[in-house]
Amino acid sequence: MLSLKLAFKNLMGAGLRTWLNVLALSFAFVLIIFYNGMIDGWNRQAIRDTKDWETGEGQFWHPEYDRFDPYTIEDSHALLSEEIKLEIGNNNLTPVLIAQATAYPQDRSMGIVLKGIDPEQKILKLPSSSLPDSDGQQYGIIGRGMARSANLKVGDNLLVRWRDKNGTFDACEIQIAKIFKSNVPSAENGQIYVSISSLREMMGLKEEATMLICGDNFEKRDLDGWDYKSNEFLLNDLNKIIESKKFSGAILQGLLLIIALIAIFDTQVLSIFRRQKEIGTYIALGLTRTQVVGIFTVEGGAHSILAVILGSVYGIPLFLWLDKQGINLSYAADMNFDLPMAEYLFPYYSLRLILVTIAIVVISATIVSYLPARKISKMKPTEALKGKLQ
Amino acid sequence: MENSQIIRIENLVKRFPVGKTKFTAVDGISLSFGKGEFAGLVGPSGSGKTTLLNIIGSLDTPSDGTVSVIDKSVSDLSHRQSALLRNRYIGFIFQTYNLLPVYNVYENVEFALLLQKLSASERKKAVMDALEWVGLTDKLKSKPTMLSGGECQRVAIARSMVKKPLIVLADEPTANLDSKNSHHILQTMKHLNKELNTTFIFATHDEKVMQYLNRIISLEDGRVVKDEAVKNSKN
Repeated sequence: MLSLKLAFKNLMGAGLRTWLNVLALSFAFVLIIFYNGMIDGWNRQAIRDTKDWETGEGQFWHPEYDRFDPYTIEDSHALLSEEIKLEIGNNNLTPVLIAQATAYPQDRSMGIVLKGIDPEQKILKLPSSSLPDSDGQQYGIIGRGMARSANLKVGDNLLVRWRDKNGTFDACEIQIAKIFKSNVPSAENGQIYVSISSLREMMGLKEEATMLICGDNFEKRDLDGWDYKSNEFLLNDLNKIIESKKFSGAILQGLLLIIALIAIFDTQVLSIFRRQKEIGTYIALGLTRTQVVGIFTVEGGAHSILAVILGSVYGIPLFLWLDKQGINLSYAADMNFDLPMAEYLFPYYSLRLILVTIAIVVISATIVSYLPARKISKMKPTEALKGKLQ
Repeated sequence: MENSQIIRIENLVKRFPVGKTKFTAVDGISLSFGKGEFAGLVGPSGSGKTTLLNIIGSLDTPSDGTVSVIDKSVSDLSHRQSALLRNRYIGFIFQTYNLLPVYNVYENVEFALLLQKLSASERKKAVMDALEWVGLTDKLKSKPTMLSGGECQRVAIARSMVKKPLIVLADEPTANLDSKNSHHILQTMKHLNKELNTTFIFATHDEKVMQYLNRIISLEDGRVVKDEAVKNSKN
């Protein structure tokens, strides 16, 4: 308690030097929280959007289906049982039929995937209700990524060719009924969503599907003839990207922290050399060397407490404002990085993030303060009183 | 109690390494000091005054011989024990005052009491008493940078006296002061010596200080060359 009181007194007495260190450390503190909050916010948003637009609450795949092997698609479909139809009727599952096709936008050929979805489905955010009933004309909806790469707009007709279940080539024009924006490139790129009944008709596959997407209320259980894929599996790639982002973020944060800690270390070393007389006086007044080391260590560590307070003063309003406004990433979202990215990123600051950051800043500042303070224990009090460099 | 020996020095030798050789700063000194003495170690620079004072104050240890302060051999004390000895029984006054710059007058004086388990009200009373002794009750909030040299030294005296120590060690306390301030300081210390029966030991070569001493120990090359009781007009 005495060390704490003296340390704060000395810090306040040191004036500008203290506040410059505190300011540098508070920048590190706020930036670490900001950066982590941004990454966490992005991650949460990416996972939420991917679930909302693509994976649902897990999927059942036809056993032959491999999303990374297009040659499996041809044989990856099966009839739906009565049990599955009941779940679909209750909006707990939605079927998706997948077929490989070739599109010909502006006289180019382009490999695409046709996805047949139920216009009535409510599980994914895909605007499937925008698919009009077939009136002889096939309609499709596409994502913004696909519209950009194929240079398509609403009302355009796109020639599409596919092979039906017998391997016979067929072709038709699909009119673009809607272009949606999902923030999830893997739900947009190279895909055209059509009504599942239309695609079944095009493929000659009555009542069949390639996969079933689970909704929130689906009671998890095995379904005969279908392999369950959890979101842990489906989001594996995204999680790996998140991990790599966190790792590179940790390096950046480490650098930020090191810069601030060097300032504290430097101040402590300088303090010990400049304040030798003061150290000698403490010892003459009856403080033990350990107590003096304690004062200097707490003094250095107290920089971090002040940095947390100062950081809170400007950090909390900044974070609240960002939480309300979001960070405009529309330029990055438009650049199509193949990462789920919304136009506005809303950082997420968890209590754990804040507490861990405070602990890291306080502990590391205390350690770098202790290291030079150890020198005091080797100082001869008589020399310290004279202020002689030792 | 007046003449009971609270400091006993026997055959004290202190050597310091200088390059590959050793310099003998104190060479076989034997002395004792009683309670309530107002004594001075006088002599030219390098005669061993400050070294002797530092060893009595347990800031340094003897190379040979023994120094007992309040029946405790300073050689045998651990860091913690010597810190306790200084905190409870010894006050220091330095030539350059050594006030803590970030504290005001009140806090500088109070600092000496912070390690003792006193209540805030007890500390306040002791600090105010000490500042009254030195006549600085009107400068409680002033920082050392706002005080004159004489005032700083009076704060240092108050700080050394606030815990009512048995011994005060003053190393050239008037060296940075003008004549008027020197006399003022010395009168204050003399007054406290009489009122509280505190033993004062000075290291000095200032004639003004000598006028107040009732015992002068002359040192030369680390040895005592004269140790005499004196009767001065100022004491």
